[in-house]
Amino acid sequence: MSLIDSIMAGFSLVGNFEAFLSLAIGVVIGVIGGAIPGVSATMAVALALPFTFPMEAINGILLLLGVYKGGIFGGSIPAILIKTPGTPASSATVLDGHPMAARGEAGRALGMALWASCTADLISNLALILFAGWLASFALSFGPPEFFALILFSLTIIAGVSGDSLLRGALSALLGLLLATIGLDLIYGTNRFTFGDPSLMGGLNFIAVLIGLFAIPEIINTVWHPTGHIGTVQKLGSKWVTFAEYRRCFKSIVRGSFIGVFLGSIPGIGAAPAAFLSYSEARRKSPNKANFGKGEIEGVAASEAGNNGVAGATLIPLLALGVPGDVITAIIIGAFMVHGLQPGPMMFVMNVDIIYGLFIGLIFSSALLFVIGGLAIRGFKPAADIPKRILMPTVLVLCTYGVFAVNNNIFDVGVMFVMGWVGFAMGRYHIPAAPFLIAFILGPLLEDNFRQAMLMSGGSPEILLRGPITWFFWGLTALTVVAITRGTLDKARDKG
Amino acid sequence: MNQRAIQMQLGIGAMLVAAFLMFYAIPNWVSSPTNIRNVVLSPRFWPYVLGGLTGLVGLGLVVFGRRMSASEAPLNEAIDDPRAGALRLMAMAVLMAVTFWALSRIGMVWTSMLSFAALAFLVRTRHPVTALVCAVLVPLLLYAFFAHVAGVAIPQGEFVRLP
Repeated sequence: MSLIDSIMAGFSLVGNFEAFLSLAIGVVIGVIGGAIPGVSATMAVALALPFTFPMEAINGILLLLGVYKGGIFGGSIPAILIKTPGTPASSATVLDGHPMAARGEAGRALGMALWASCTADLISNLALILFAGWLASFALSFGPPEFFALILFSLTIIAGVSGDSLLRGALSALLGLLLATIGLDLIYGTNRFTFGDPSLMGGLNFIAVLIGLFAIPEIINTVWHPTGHIGTVQKLGSKWVTFAEYRRCFKSIVRGSFIGVFLGSIPGIGAAPAAFLSYSEARRKSPNKANFGKGEIEGVAASEAGNNGVAGATLIPLLALGVPGDVITAIIIGAFMVHGLQPGPMMFVMNVDIIYGLFIGLIFSSALLFVIGGLAIRGFKPAADIPKRILMPTVLVLCTYGVFAVNNNIFDVGVMFVMGWVGFAMGRYHIPAAPFLIAFILGPLLEDNFRQAMLMSGGSPEILLRGPITWFFWGLTALTVVAITRGTLDKARDKG
Repeated sequence: MNQRAIQMQLGIGAMLVAAFLMFYAIPNWVSSPTNIRNVVLSPRFWPYVLGGLTGLVGLGLVVFGRRMSASEAPLNEAIDDPRAGALRLMAMAVLMAVTFWALSRIGMVWTSMLSFAALAFLVRTRHPVTALVCAVLVPLLLYAFFAHVAGVAIPQGEFVRLP
């Protein structure tokens, strides 16, 4: 199929009112979810997922992508107005956004956050369109040993950078991999940890596990500490961002977008490091570096560009390799699976219309974000005023319905509750949840590729090092382990 | 708990889990055909690898934990009354167990209404009337969506049935 044919096929899927409405609804849900402290973009995507089941695959996925993009921007609203980042990615925005709000320039800070977010989002989407197809065509030549090495590398980097300790990240990933072994064996069909219960033979339901890990712990945290403080909402003020200010910050925005694209395309790094790196680079290069941290508008622009630059790029490994780049794309992979789609290089051959449909939708999402984000800035007050102690029971009921709806199975609701306590315990012990979830998703793929490779070689492990691609990924894995271990040791030495 | 205590508890816990997996759970709860020629293809091989790695990570956590300072500040935010907090957590666990039990018996809508109200009061909401109104409306709206739009067979229970 030629490029034009692919684009036309994509248009035929998304060139209708329902597709754009889904995307717009997704952006609205995302902005609201991101803007409510305690909900976060991740929870918003997880809660929206069950509502996409009755939708067409493309519309459902577009809705979730809209939630993702809206959620990342939405997180900046409470970061600036109440000094509480709606998402971890917005933590860098607080540094300059809140001081601006405190001196009555919240509208100006939020305006710049919106403009920077939309610009970065567009750049990130273009990077996705440019690189995903190329990477997928390269990945078509991968066999089981290459996929095994790639997944192992992804898990290593996710385990290493998700929390503040490589060992705790590794423990989290290992627990996720262990949980993924529940069910029938992939080759022999024998029972593994099923205890003879038919509900366990297909393995644990992925959506029950993810909602349990990311939504229920927030409810349990509210039960543990119901009066967790939320700061006072600052007024928007009369000043608004000007085009001249946008032009002055443009270099930082573009630089931050590329930092976001680069870090987002590496599985596991996520938006928060991108925002902080973009912020520190902007401060290093800015003539106003003394103002950073005291309410410098360029600081807001750089951190928002960094975190939104990630949003399209995390879809590069998801679509091209089938490896989720962060927790949110790990949830979005669930939407693909529910609709019978398997992201990865073969999707660029078998479902090229959906791929191009998504690309087209993503380009429009930046424009929708601009319009909806602008309205959300002015209408934030009601979202901030939703009492958390009404919100959390609502989330509990939403989770119960949503998880049940996946397989019409009450057992899944039980799995969600149990995983909620696991997630709560992980939070108390500072074990990052992202490696757990991503390992749970990639576990069967990792084991399957390993065993297929062993079948191909008659049990010889040499096949795992059979060519330059496997060497490349093994080399990257070794480098990652060395770099993270050195970083951890240096940090421990500095503390001592 | 400070960083050191967390690290040590996790390490010891991981080693115990690994030992349990390798000496009891995998031999008893993972079935394997007897005629497998290559050990790496056995259904038990992968769980054993993961169990072994869990043990090694646990050992690493203990070794690094022992080198940490015992006088670091606690990592988790303290709450005013930890005893009341623990009681609320227990009540939450009971609420989840009762919800799970009641779903198939009295139906998802009625169970959700009761669990919504119970949770709102457990977290001591300052808006009891709003909570009660939402406890009725939210499950009904979700029922309408999932049952009539998404076509999901929402459990109705044995008593009052909805259209």
